[in-house]
Amino acid sequence: MSSRVPQMLIGGVGLGAPIMVVAFAAALSGTVLDAAPPLAADEAEQIVQEAQRRTDARSQRYEGVLQVADSKGKIADKRWTLERLGSHGDSRVVLRFTAPAEVKGVALLVVNHPDRASDQWMWTPALERDRRIALQDRSTRFFGTDFSFEDLEERDVHQYTYSLLGEDVVDQAACWKVQSVPRQGKSSQYSRSVLWLRKDNYAFARIENYVKDQVVRRLNYTDLQQVQGIWTATKLEMHDLRRDSRTRLVLDKLQYNEPMKEEDFTLQAIRRQ
Amino acid sequence: MLAVACSTGTPAIAAAQTFSYRGFVDLRALVFPQDSPHDDTNFVGDMLARGEAFYRPTSWAQFAFGLDARANSDDQVDTSFQVDLRDRLALRPSVSVRRLSATFTRGPLTLDAGKQFIRWGKTDVITPTDRFAPKDFLYVIDGEFLPVTGVRTVLQWGANTIDVPFVPRFTPDRTPLLDQRWTLLPADVTGVKVMAAAVNLPSDSQAGVRWSHTGSYEYSLSFFDGLDYRPNLRIAVQPKVPSIEIAKEYPHIRSYGADGAVPTRWFTIKGEAAYVTSSTPHTDEYVLYVVQLERQTGEWVLVGGYAGEVVTVSRGQVAFAPDRGLARALVGRASYTIDTNRRVAFESAVRQNGRGVYVNAEYSHARGQHWRATVNAAVIGGSGDDFLGRYRQNSYGALVLRYSF
Repeated sequence: MSSRVPQMLIGGVGLGAPIMVVAFAAALSGTVLDAAPPLAADEAEQIVQEAQRRTDARSQRYEGVLQVADSKGKIADKRWTLERLGSHGDSRVVLRFTAPAEVKGVALLVVNHPDRASDQWMWTPALERDRRIALQDRSTRFFGTDFSFEDLEERDVHQYTYSLLGEDVVDQAACWKVQSVPRQGKSSQYSRSVLWLRKDNYAFARIENYVKDQVVRRLNYTDLQQVQGIWTATKLEMHDLRRDSRTRLVLDKLQYNEPMKEEDFTLQAIRRQ
Repeated sequence: MLAVACSTGTPAIAAAQTFSYRGFVDLRALVFPQDSPHDDTNFVGDMLARGEAFYRPTSWAQFAFGLDARANSDDQVDTSFQVDLRDRLALRPSVSVRRLSATFTRGPLTLDAGKQFIRWGKTDVITPTDRFAPKDFLYVIDGEFLPVTGVRTVLQWGANTIDVPFVPRFTPDRTPLLDQRWTLLPADVTGVKVMAAAVNLPSDSQAGVRWSHTGSYEYSLSFFDGLDYRPNLRIAVQPKVPSIEIAKEYPHIRSYGADGAVPTRWFTIKGEAAYVTSSTPHTDEYVLYVVQLERQTGEWVLVGGYAGEVVTVSRGQVAFAPDRGLARALVGRASYTIDTNRRVAFESAVRQNGRGVYVNAEYSHARGQHWRATVNAAVIGGSGDDFLGRYRQNSYGALVLRYSF
């Protein structure tokens, strides 16, 4: 079993890759969600590692359609394309907006590291410049969506500790309920996360991210499809509970293991349109 | 950009071949409530249509083409309707090629050839090392970058990058028009004819090299040898006519620069400095530097800093130099995203001696997939002997309607 486990990929198991890795983050001070004490930590970590193993892919590409709905129900559509080279905490991701028209060409480069937080740069064509997204700025929303910059990164399993909270049912599927807490020194906006992983295929069903004892973001995975042998949630919904707004992401034209070149995942590459 | 992969052929080819485009049409209305001493135009209408296309036939080559079309109610646009490739006109061309370039990549090497944008530096308000980025300064405080024509070679290995631009043909700043409010004349020259001398643009080339490192900290060192795209002004008074003739001369300069960004727990600290020397007579030598703090928190993006200047050799230079003019000032910008379609922004610059101030407030609202309306009001105040203060009669309001495609 691989020693590297991605954090939570938007798409998690099944999506096979980091896209939005909804952080497992959390501070050591986080308290356990339920009153019941945590069960075997080894078992919880093994579940997450198996989830990763089943989504392992050399590369990934998809077109994402986003619908951002505010608390009054007003919806704004956005689109992006995403390419990822590598997998599971040691990968590079280029995300480019294709709609709405005014943000066409805006690109984000994410370089994920197994042992530390990712590096992120944003390219803005109107300025002809790239800008590094500093670590302390990553709790902010990503381009008006309900995902934060931190949610875009993928992290190593060893940056977190896991505990099995029990079992639950999500969308009529039996799930393991696992808590992840970032290890000491891990920088994250979230104090902890609770993950629901389906027992039948190890796909992520839900993630709740906490700040102290409050759930601040909830990510639901639906419409599971098997793509090139990898169970992938093709619809994801991130609910920002503080703003009461939601972003739905639908994955289209999803492909795994396409040939990609390393030089297309650099600062020079995102400068190209 | 529309990075739409072609759906024909093998998956690998499909991934490589892309065609994308983007553009917009801007309609802008400006209101200047006050007359300036030699310009009583209070309303200006402006139109800019911009289209850019990018074609990537293979994974190692890309071609880019972009065109601007303009119209203006205040005689700021050349009406010869010739397609302009050079960006050397005093007026904005009615049709100009904004981008015409080819990009080739092979491993760690990237080569861009043609008309393109080259940006150096880290800071936002003033970028002292940004030596390949002339601007259109018809409206001084709202300048837009002009492309340059040249070859840029970039070698990237690991976290290091070497960037070597070579620009054989000089592109100067577009300076304010002499008969308009952004040109500043002494009060006692009212009624005197002001003329522009014939411009002989130098044929010298420009070259530079920049090494940059991106790790936990980002830093760069750069060197530039070429022409300053901001001109020295030579003013000749002819008392018999009477008239004043203003000639532009572009000094040869060398610039030794450095910039860096250091993330801390609360802010990202960015700094940039350039030491500029010159062998051209009547041209100052100086150090221009900027230190700024940057932070995003919640829906706010906050940038604030100080721009400073130290003149090391003063030779009595008279120049059009907005970057130096904005030095010795505290500058700041704050923007707030109200929701996915709406945002507000505030921007200010205050000279450290308090003799010049600029404040701008902006509200922007997008509608649907294509439309955005922006209103802004800029207030300029100060005294007549200050770079900012001298524009105190140029406070304005603007409404911009943009259709993006």
